[in-house]
Amino acid sequence: MTTWEGLFYGIGFALQPGILIYCLLGVVLGSFVGVLPGIGAMAAISLLLPVTYYITAEAALIMLAGVYYGAQYGGAVASILMRLPGTPQSAVTALDGYPMARSGRAGVALFAAMASSFAGSIIGILVLVLMAGWLSRAATAFGAADYAAMMILGLVAASTIGTDRLAKGFAMVTLGLLLGCVGTDVNSGVQRFTFGQTELLDGINLVALAIGLFGVAEVMANVRDPDRQAVAERIGLRRLVPERDDLRRMGGPTLRGSALGSFFGALPGTGSTLSSFLSYAMEKRVARRPERFGKGAVEGVAGPEAANNAAAITAFVPTLTLGIPGDPIMALMLGALVIHGIQPGPLMLEARPEMFWGLVASFGIGNLLLLILNLPLIGIWVALLRIPFRWLYPAILIFVCLGVYSVRGLGFDIIAVAVIGLAGYLLALAAFSPALLLLGFVLGPLIETNLRRALLISRGDPMVFLERPIAAGFVLASTALLLLSLWQAVARRRRAKTG
Amino acid sequence: MGRDWPDILGGLALAVIGAGSAGWASVHYDLGTLRQMGPGFFPVLLGAMLAVLGLTVALPAWRRAGQPLPVHPGAVAAVLASIVVFGVGMPKLGLVVATALSVLIATLPAPHRGWMWQILLTLAVTALTVLLFSAGLRMTLPLWPRVP
Repeated sequence: MTTWEGLFYGIGFALQPGILIYCLLGVVLGSFVGVLPGIGAMAAISLLLPVTYYITAEAALIMLAGVYYGAQYGGAVASILMRLPGTPQSAVTALDGYPMARSGRAGVALFAAMASSFAGSIIGILVLVLMAGWLSRAATAFGAADYAAMMILGLVAASTIGTDRLAKGFAMVTLGLLLGCVGTDVNSGVQRFTFGQTELLDGINLVALAIGLFGVAEVMANVRDPDRQAVAERIGLRRLVPERDDLRRMGGPTLRGSALGSFFGALPGTGSTLSSFLSYAMEKRVARRPERFGKGAVEGVAGPEAANNAAAITAFVPTLTLGIPGDPIMALMLGALVIHGIQPGPLMLEARPEMFWGLVASFGIGNLLLLILNLPLIGIWVALLRIPFRWLYPAILIFVCLGVYSVRGLGFDIIAVAVIGLAGYLLALAAFSPALLLLGFVLGPLIETNLRRALLISRGDPMVFLERPIAAGFVLASTALLLLSLWQAVARRRRAKTG
Repeated sequence: MGRDWPDILGGLALAVIGAGSAGWASVHYDLGTLRQMGPGFFPVLLGAMLAVLGLTVALPAWRRAGQPLPVHPGAVAAVLASIVVFGVGMPKLGLVVATALSVLIATLPAPHRGWMWQILLTLAVTALTVLLFSAGLRMTLPLWPRVP
């Protein structure tokens, strides 16, 4: 199937009413949780995982993806209007978006965020289509050792980039890998760490783990939030249309942000949060008058918003073509597919074209829906921002319990959610990343299987990881990344001592 | 002198989990060889790694002042109790009573006085839950307490 055929096929598939409705549901729900501070895309996707049991794999993936990029649009609204980023990706947007809103240019800031998000997504889709075809052809040459090495690179990258405490990040990834061992060992049939509990034979339930770590833990952390004051009043929402000067300023940052986001989104371990921060830093550096940044520069909204949306799309490249999630949200997407018995890989483009091309087309359709819906709906989002959290979280807890219960009908899973929720709360409190734990958990069985297979093929010779050029490249990159971040940590400590 | 207790306790807990899993796995599961790895190989390796990493987190924290953490034991306890009451109570008390109890418990730590909103919210969420899950999605759940 050529790219054009695939695209037309995908558009036809995604426009079926039975699919379109889930795309719409996903993006609206995503905008909703993005606007609400305290519930991120991670929590929303976790909460929706039980629902995916009742729909087809394609509809599930399209809906969950819609939540992910929809949350980025919603997050920008909360960032701009209230300086309360609903998602970490949109934290940067508040730096210039909020000052714009304070000076009566909220409408222009929102327009800039929406327009550049849309442009970033479209560029991301183009990159995804070009890279996916190429990568899935290249990936047919991948062996077990290459897969294992690549996943290890992903874990190293995720736990070193963007954190300043290396040991904590690695500890969380390792704990996740260890939790991934629980259950029946695929190779030998031995039950590991089940302690006689039949509920654990299939391993720790991904739905319970994700909901506990993100849904319940986030509720616990936000219960005591005081009611938000209505500060988003009279901020010039009426004037959405930007002036010609604004439009001229938005073009460059949007393009640069999209390129940056497309690149870093596709790399394992980096993701959209980093892209938006990098884009902001870049715009500040290339700006002729950098002192305007932080005081309401439209470039500081357009660049990062384009970057995080482009990255959210290209993050699907390694997930769909190699079956390797590059960040925790992609790990959840992969989990949703595995629930349906689908293991993505290089052959998926050929074997399940409706999955790949349908998803690609749904990105375009979903972003168009967001663009059309969000501008008229801003009034509703502003009203939503005023809903106190105390009206929402009891219902969230009930839905969590019923959602988890519906998967297997086991009361055990509800209690497990409570225990995991407490653990997740304590971990997040002590600045141990639960997201890294989840990434390790999903990748664990894949790494173990490929590691064992690679060493079986090489007759126990670990040099296989250095002799195969692809694996050696990943090992080299992992080592370099590790050394670089160790060196940075030492340098930082030395500076702290002398300074 | 202050110490960074979250890192000390968190690191030690991870070290104990790691050492414990490695120990358990090395006794109970076959390690195998590098060529033919047994079910114990990966867990032992990971457990040992986790133990070392946990100590790496905990030890430097002993000589470092930490920041006080904003813990809300009341909120945590209420959320936990709400989930457990629902999980244990639903099969016996039925969906209606379990949901109402669970919502009521969950609202206790909210930073808002008065009880009218709690009652209203309880009624609203219970009604919504029954409508959505029992009537709408047709999940087979007992609605009312089982008569002995």
